[in-house]
Amino acid sequence: MIRASGYEVTSYGEMIDCEPRMGVYVEALRRAITPGCTVIDLGAGFGVFAILACKFGAGSVIAIEPDPSIELLMQLAHDNGCADRITVVRDMSTRYTPDQKADVIVSDCRGTVCLFEHHIATIADARERLLAPGGTLLPMRDTLRAALVHSPETYRLRHYPWRSNKYDLDLSAAHSFAANAEAKAYLKPDALVSEPRDLAVIDYRTVTDPNLDASIELVATKDSIAHGLLVWFDAEIAEGLGYSNAPGQPELVYGQMFLPLADPPQLITGDRVTARIRGNLIDGHYIWSWDGTVIDGTTGVARNPFRQSTFLSRVIAKGIANAGSSLTVPQHSIQLQIDADCLAMAGSGLDYDGIAKALLAQYPDALPNYRYALDRVASLFGRYTAQ
Amino acid sequence: MADNSCVTENANADWLNARWTISDQAIANSVGDEMVVLHLANGTYFGLDPIGALLWEGLQASQVPAQVCDTILDRFAIDRATAELDLCEFLGELATRDLIVRA
Repeated sequence: MIRASGYEVTSYGEMIDCEPRMGVYVEALRRAITPGCTVIDLGAGFGVFAILACKFGAGSVIAIEPDPSIELLMQLAHDNGCADRITVVRDMSTRYTPDQKADVIVSDCRGTVCLFEHHIATIADARERLLAPGGTLLPMRDTLRAALVHSPETYRLRHYPWRSNKYDLDLSAAHSFAANAEAKAYLKPDALVSEPRDLAVIDYRTVTDPNLDASIELVATKDSIAHGLLVWFDAEIAEGLGYSNAPGQPELVYGQMFLPLADPPQLITGDRVTARIRGNLIDGHYIWSWDGTVIDGTTGVARNPFRQSTFLSRVIAKGIANAGSSLTVPQHSIQLQIDADCLAMAGSGLDYDGIAKALLAQYPDALPNYRYALDRVASLFGRYTAQ
Repeated sequence: MADNSCVTENANADWLNARWTISDQAIANSVGDEMVVLHLANGTYFGLDPIGALLWEGLQASQVPAQVCDTILDRFAIDRATAELDLCEFLGELATRDLIVRA
């Protein structure tokens, strides 16, 4: 089995091509790096920041990236005349202990928003263990912001074909799943139906908690249907150097996060929407939840309550409702035994081919053919390779 | 710490006639006639069988457990004493896990 990079080369190309993001990072690196300093490029990808750090005078750069994409870095470093100053660590940074702490740590491990997978934990760990006292973290701070938006196009697949479709099918049972699914958006200022409000400040110099729990009140600035909440961030890479993926700013690779409302309310100017927005890191991914209500701007009467979560967008297979419960007692099965026997053959001297054949001979009724057995062996051991 | 045990007949009646609310940390996703409840703050999942799912739906609809018990007796081959005891134990479990709170 070939383990390919989780990112396409073109994805990294988009990141480098993404302005003003790239220009801001380059300028921040230029300012932060002093001759001979030590830099860590966290989540390095192809290591473009690592190469730039060398060009700006860094004495040594450690590029850390668990993804296979980093295998290309040394070729790029050689081509740019800095291979002798770059050390590649293909692993999680949380498992890396440096000989020397870094003067500068540069990273961009965000997703659509800055709360993405293990980003916060990675930064917090790096700040405590890998950064020298007084060292510089790039980015420095992100401010999450939110507003109500009207966008029939972004909302379309939350409504269609579930509540109406041209085939006269009743697909309404799927509506609640679609209506709780977040979406990446690139909305313009004319989509806003409220003033934006700050949701949270993520200061990478101090942050420890990966979870978000923030409440805001958004006031409708026009008569409009509100299809959902839009969340974006204003980034400060270093003092005075930043960019934003807010509506109206240049489109960035991140996009914006659209949280739909299952029953979009009709708002009148002055109506208020109170919203509690939570992002909880669970099993390595964020569950986003948004609860709230509309408060009539004239009467003060509450209406259109909503309680939504991306957890409700997941269709979970019947019969495995308990599978994720901490009370689950795992049961033995032939499939489990095959995997156990497979792993037990590590270090036996057998290659994948030999292990697959041994398993096939032992479990002829459970493994349909050699090809299947070989893929299973490669996939299973692949989980433990180069991590 | 709240007493989440329910072992005596009086305690049973008290619990079954009490109002319970779903914790603001709990989100339930239906899976056929079962449910998976996620506790957002601690990231744990809790599976509910069809009877547990009925109780959850009842609490969401502001019913007291005793009302849900009647529904259970209509739908499942189970005697009242067993159903009440099971419900009571289950309420204790949900409360211990901070998935429901007494109103």
